[in-house]
Amino acid sequence: MKFIRKILDKHEHHFLKGGKFERFYPLWEAQDTFLFTSNHVTKQGPHVRDSLDSKRLMSIVVLALVPCVLFGAYNTGLQEAWAHQEPTGDWFGLFWRGMITMLPIIVVSYAAGGFWELIFAVVRKHEINEGFLVTGLLFPLVCPPSIPLWQVAVGVSFGVVIGKEIFGGTGMNILNPALTARAFLYFSYPAQISGDKVWILAQPDGISGATPLNVAAMTANGGDAVATLHSFSNGTDLTYGFWDMFWGTIPGSLGETSAAACLIGALILIITGVGSWRVIVSVLGGSWITAALLNLVAGGSLPGILSLPPHYHLAMGGLMFAAVYMATDPVSAARTTKGMYIYGFLIGALTILIRLWNPAYPEGAMLAILFMNVFAPLIDHYVVNANIKRRMKRVAS
Amino acid sequence: MVDLISIATKAIFVENILLSFFLGMCSFLACSKKIETAMGLGMAVIFVLGVTTPINWLINHYLLRDGALAWLGYPNVNLSFLQFICYIATIAAMVQLVEMVMDKFAPALYQSLGIFLPLIAVNCAILGTSLFMGTKGYDFTESTVFGLSSGVGWLMAIVAMAAIRTKLQYSNIPLGLRGLGITMLITGLMALGFMSFIGINL
Repeated sequence: MKFIRKILDKHEHHFLKGGKFERFYPLWEAQDTFLFTSNHVTKQGPHVRDSLDSKRLMSIVVLALVPCVLFGAYNTGLQEAWAHQEPTGDWFGLFWRGMITMLPIIVVSYAAGGFWELIFAVVRKHEINEGFLVTGLLFPLVCPPSIPLWQVAVGVSFGVVIGKEIFGGTGMNILNPALTARAFLYFSYPAQISGDKVWILAQPDGISGATPLNVAAMTANGGDAVATLHSFSNGTDLTYGFWDMFWGTIPGSLGETSAAACLIGALILIITGVGSWRVIVSVLGGSWITAALLNLVAGGSLPGILSLPPHYHLAMGGLMFAAVYMATDPVSAARTTKGMYIYGFLIGALTILIRLWNPAYPEGAMLAILFMNVFAPLIDHYVVNANIKRRMKRVAS
Repeated sequence: MVDLISIATKAIFVENILLSFFLGMCSFLACSKKIETAMGLGMAVIFVLGVTTPINWLINHYLLRDGALAWLGYPNVNLSFLQFICYIATIAAMVQLVEMVMDKFAPALYQSLGIFLPLIAVNCAILGTSLFMGTKGYDFTESTVFGLSSGVGWLMAIVAMAAIRTKLQYSNIPLGLRGLGITMLITGLMALGFMSFIGINL
């Protein structure tokens, strides 16, 4: 360790003011603080003493994403093997097979996003923010395995530049950058990012790769969505029972299929206090209540998907992933305590409503969060105002 | 009743007059710096829309459209080429009314809105709603609901924008983008959020 420190110290003067690589100070600073604890201290004024800085905060989120990455790699390999009717006993082989698909996507996402981050840091003379490490990993996890690499680069560039950097970088944006990137791709290249052909790599003809949400949406009017799911078969070992969806052995985006892996991540985020449990709980609660209410009216001539029970909704699609990693983004979420409950509840409710009523989109979590990101500042404003009013009343009486 | 609710939801969320048709942009961009001002302007727009849309419907139905003058004994007269000018006249009159009422009862808001209050008269969202009402073939009640809910949609958009711009005071936006530039970009991003409703068929 000392050895590395020595080398770093020896070369540092090149990057300081007056050195020959002065322009690249942000890059220097990023790798230096990545390897060692920063020894910068606040020079004046009162400041908060805390071991948690944005760098550590973001590292914990990345750590919480690891279960999703690992399981996502395994599942990608598993889906491919199932679709080709190959043996699936060798779990490490499957994992490796998935990694070969997943790794290039993650690398491209980091490289393209890092490139823009670096340009903005150098030109605008701010530090490289670690928030990008989260965006660059979240984004590939919500992409389908068959996505072309150039689209990954285009998407993440849009997310980082328009979603974040034009506002001044990490902490100042209004929409979640990873979701902005995903939505941008969704509306720009719908053919490569939706439908039932994109979720399994090298999908053979005649094998359906419809996700559980696609299948449930096909339920006949007044029908039973659970029965439709359970009777789904594409001729391979793929089944859509509740536990299949909970563990995540279903086709879907790279890292979001497993509700179990997301729950492990949620545990890490909540224990470390990085993610707000209020948001997670209220998103899940909001979708549960909405789905349960709609169960009551299901039947008759109404779409069959209305009869899907709440716990199925939570296990399928990207809802759990979105609730744990996307909705809790402290920058774009509501910041007041009451505001978080409102924000989360509406995301959950809206997700279910979009799933059930919008034939254009099978999954609603992404757009529900973007929509509520837009309204989060307004929610905060009214919560704060209500608080001021209440306290003014107390003072007056 | 279900029909009216579906018209309202559609006008507010699915076909938001501002974020999906981009009508009424100039006052949206100019008056969205403070939430209170935005709220006041939004209320004024709801009122003007709620009054002008039904009035314009009556004018169109009984005076302008092809064969509208049958009740006077002129079934072959078609005055629909006067549509724009008549609609605008109604709108201008209503805006004048709002202005006088606001000057009397809410002088502070009247001051802060400044030129943008009389400019509601040329707000494309107002004329747009009157014209959409015609092309969509709504009847009198439907037009009233449509007008009011278009206004509510506009209010939602401008108030959300004002809240975002208040929050942006802490941002470090590149110099060239400050002001209108970033506002335009945010409008685009907001429209992305509203895309969640596109495709809903009520």
